[in-house]
Amino acid sequence: MKAENINPFITAVNELFENMLDCKLKMNKPGLVVQENGTPDIIGVIGMSGTAQGIVALRLPVRTALAMVGRMVGMEFRGVDSSIIDGVGELVNIIAGSAKGKFDGHAINLSLPTVVRGNICQLSNLQNAVFLDVPFESELGNFSLMVTFKPAVVPEKKEAIHAGIGSR
Amino acid sequence: MRVLVVDDSQIMRKIVTGALKKQNVNDIVEAANGQEAVDVVAKDGNISLILMDWNMPVMTGIDAVRKIRTGGSKTPIVMVTTESEKEKVIEAIKSGANDYLVKPFNPKDIQAKLEKFLPPSNG
Repeated sequence: MKAENINPFITAVNELFENMLDCKLKMNKPGLVVQENGTPDIIGVIGMSGTAQGIVALRLPVRTALAMVGRMVGMEFRGVDSSIIDGVGELVNIIAGSAKGKFDGHAINLSLPTVVRGNICQLSNLQNAVFLDVPFESELGNFSLMVTFKPAVVPEKKEAIHAGIGSR
Repeated sequence: MRVLVVDDSQIMRKIVTGALKKQNVNDIVEAANGQEAVDVVAKDGNISLILMDWNMPVMTGIDAVRKIRTGGSKTPIVMVTTESEKEKVIEAIKSGANDYLVKPFNPKDIQAKLEKFLPPSNG
């Protein structure tokens, strides 16, 4: 997966933390998602279709999910309930929506978010996808953004348009 | 004044209603999709402002905006959505939305939008 395709997602995560969570964020080295058998996390998933196909998944340990959703609404959550599930869905929705607006020349549609408990590699409909795992650290806890993204059509370059505007 | 908050995410509705309450707006009606919003507007003539998400099940926000305008309502509508592309903003405005707020927003962003549409007495 090309860096130019993952960068919009990373920027979207940073914008989310800056604007809605008021929290500093540190990104660690990205890598490929590997099979794990650890504690099931909460994973918010959104599909992308149109001139690019992809899947965006926000994988949160329970403690991180409680802290992030709690920070968003100014409440304290002690366990996973419908608000947490809903909140994780909204978080991944904001990330995917924000990222798709950064792909110039593409027309990308988003699915509604789905939130599951488990391991991303165990989701049967995702087994053939190669996910890039971008780990983050924050005061709200560690988490990962997992993305698989493939442009279906090479978008028209907008440099010519910009050059035209700039030359006026 | 009465404000209608339309979003399929209960968490996002909480965030938006929290911002409204900070502006001393406590008369708030919630809807979880575009169809519910259309129904509320049809039955309640006292809605002063609508804050509308775009991507929702049952009926999208943009379809709800079109239906609300077709029904004759002139209530101001602010789209509150992750849809940030210029084409989407233009589509929303052409469909009858009055303003646009892109998620993720910070508290100042939403307060600025609310102040634009709420009477000074509520600020």
